[in-house]
Amino acid sequence: MTSDTMKVEGDFPIRFRYTAGLAGEKFLREIRDNAQLVAARCPSCDLNYLPPRIYCERCMSSLNEFVPVENVGVVESYTLCTRDNEGKQLAKPVHLALVRFPSTYGGLIHNTKGRVSIGDRVRVVFKEKSERTGSILDIAYFEKIP
Amino acid sequence: MPTGLKGTGLKEEDLEKRKVLTVAYQPNAKYAWATGIAIGKFLSGLRAGEILGIKCDHCGRIAVPPRIFCEWCFKKSESWIRLPDTGHVNTFSLSYITTDTTRVKTPTIPAVIQIDSAGNAGFLHILGEVKPDEVKIGMAVKAVWLEESARKGSITDIKYFKPIR
Repeated sequence: MTSDTMKVEGDFPIRFRYTAGLAGEKFLREIRDNAQLVAARCPSCDLNYLPPRIYCERCMSSLNEFVPVENVGVVESYTLCTRDNEGKQLAKPVHLALVRFPSTYGGLIHNTKGRVSIGDRVRVVFKEKSERTGSILDIAYFEKIP
Repeated sequence: MPTGLKGTGLKEEDLEKRKVLTVAYQPNAKYAWATGIAIGKFLSGLRAGEILGIKCDHCGRIAVPPRIFCEWCFKKSESWIRLPDTGHVNTFSLSYITTDTTRVKTPTIPAVIQIDSAGNAGFLHILGEVKPDEVKIGMAVKAVWLEESARKGSITDIKYFKPIR
């Protein structure tokens, strides 16, 4: 008796606009203006949060100190992505990696230029200044250091 | 905008003037909802210009919108009945905002319509051809249907219920 079942289709017309927050704003502006990664430092826990945040999740104190981070990190993990976030097949697969940076707590996930392996040292390659808008995409990709 | 709360107050113009960085995102959020057997038949009935209910052969209760089983008896309901497209206002509201929270001068009037010959059963719809201050609980109403060619098997195949004068 399934002939009586029907489907009702619809969509949710929703739009988001995210702000980065205080620490995220500083992080993105440093990338845009100076092609520089910064971490938020907790002096009492001796932790440098990357991406930066406004409080320390260990001791709950406010973080007001930002420290520069060298643009070279190490691949912690990686994947090859063959579909976009709506499940559509990508014409060209995208390599993604989680990269950790020395003396920091956290890491960044971004595209890599070609294939990488766990333990590879990679450099953060920024877009040209004229193309940077204050977005995480101002980082063009991570590039393996031979 | 001092509020006494910690945080950064932002106005629409702050975002427009790009005082802070933002990321815009519009998800492609589509859904397909399966009606099930009983509601599927109910919606097909609406397309044909009929309000269909279902009767429990065990306790005699009529359900509209129909359900495939009686939740009082836990028995399968199988006796479909064609109900009149008239009823009475069980309860109503005057709504001065739309679904996207825009304020409007003329209210829409959502109301639960108890369908005639269906006991207490009925469903939510809207009232039309009536002034907001004329609506009364218990008022007799009749369905106003879309043109047959415009119906598509949806609760909106009934445009609204209007008072029987």
